[in-house]
Amino acid sequence: MGQLLAFLFKYRAFIVFLFLEVLCIWMIVGNNDYQRTAFINGASGFIGSVNKTSRNIGDYFELSRVNEELATENARLRALLLSQMASEVTLDSTEQVSIVADTTDTVQYVLRQAEIVQNSIRNANNFFMINKGSRDSIKPNMGVMNSFGVVGKIRSVSERYAEGVSVLNTKNPVSVKHVPSGRVGTLQWGGTNPKVSDLFYITPDVTVQEGDTIVTSSYNAIFPKEVMVGTVASVTEDANKTYLQIKVKLSVDYGKLSYVYVIENLHKAEQDSLVETNPIDQQ
Amino acid sequence: MNRSLIRIIFTFALLLPLQVLVFRNFVVFGTGFSFIYLLCLLMLPVEMSVITGMIVALFTGLAVDLFYHTLGIHAAASVFLMFLRYHWLRMNGPRSGYEVNHLPLLSNYGLGWFIGYALPLIFVHSLVVFFVEAGNVALFWQSTFRALITTIISLIFIVISQYFLYPREQ
Repeated sequence: MGQLLAFLFKYRAFIVFLFLEVLCIWMIVGNNDYQRTAFINGASGFIGSVNKTSRNIGDYFELSRVNEELATENARLRALLLSQMASEVTLDSTEQVSIVADTTDTVQYVLRQAEIVQNSIRNANNFFMINKGSRDSIKPNMGVMNSFGVVGKIRSVSERYAEGVSVLNTKNPVSVKHVPSGRVGTLQWGGTNPKVSDLFYITPDVTVQEGDTIVTSSYNAIFPKEVMVGTVASVTEDANKTYLQIKVKLSVDYGKLSYVYVIENLHKAEQDSLVETNPIDQQ
Repeated sequence: MNRSLIRIIFTFALLLPLQVLVFRNFVVFGTGFSFIYLLCLLMLPVEMSVITGMIVALFTGLAVDLFYHTLGIHAAASVFLMFLRYHWLRMNGPRSGYEVNHLPLLSNYGLGWFIGYALPLIFVHSLVVFFVEAGNVALFWQSTFRALITTIISLIFIVISQYFLYPREQ
């Protein structure tokens, strides 16, 4: 017994070292996986506010660019609205125009504006934080996009902040569609270049050309269908000719994210519950 | 001793906020991070016991992790750095030996010694951070390259900051 204690005492530094490393590994495994635990959520309040202060300073330098982006988007939306009305009214009419919606059921997606307060693009698994939380009815698994395309999805929410998994995350696949052919594949980031992502599971019989548009597919309850994702940058066949290796140039510049929309799918609960009533089909 | 303690507390109070507020947004060539907070760990007294050092490193790492969204990764790397530092300090002593109450800084032992002391430790720390963060060895060359660039950039900032913070006393 005495020898054992002497042994332990002699190697106490190494034992403490092992203990601390095991503690760290436990934290890494417990907190860096896909769904983060409550611990970081509680801390997000303070960390979020520090991030926000630091972000506020940066905001001033981006104002002109953000303004320009918003103006461009406004113009696009206005053009869309006018093209919808064109059949009924002329541009110079002073009549009031009401847009008719049949029932409330026609509204499936609600968009909420938010600002990115913290963002990373240089890690293999990137995350971002927005300045809206449970107080603004943000919930986990809501999609996030901006005027250029898909940004990511919300992972955890605190009272005033929410944290999202970026598309630039090797563990965040997105279901996407190749527009000319209508084929559905999976977009998953390779972990290196923040401007390019990989598209998997498109078979070689599909003609894919550089410049083809890639949008979100309708096979998910997070994003509306046909939200812009990017364009094809290069296509090669893999060694055993099972699938094409497609690189997609992402339409969103993740290094310059500032204002985003959080998408709530009002039908999500219904869609999910239908899946859960048929447990055999899951996988 | 008091003078050293004040210096250490001052460095922690200055570099940790600087790391999470300024240097976090500062990525050179798109690959090189700058972990300037490592100076806090590298400058801890030579006489400090390895266990105390590792516990200090754990909390420093955790503080950085909270802002980098990588809970545990910097902590693990920092504890590892402190464990190695204890042995490295003994293997790599300056020719005249360590003097009592002298922190292992550039101003006390010279630039050549400091680089020999800090470079391997920062490199090991960066390697741990990038490999654990990537989660596998599939990105082996990318992670190694990243760690290399990060080490060089961190070292440059750590050396420069010492000229500002601790001018030569003699």
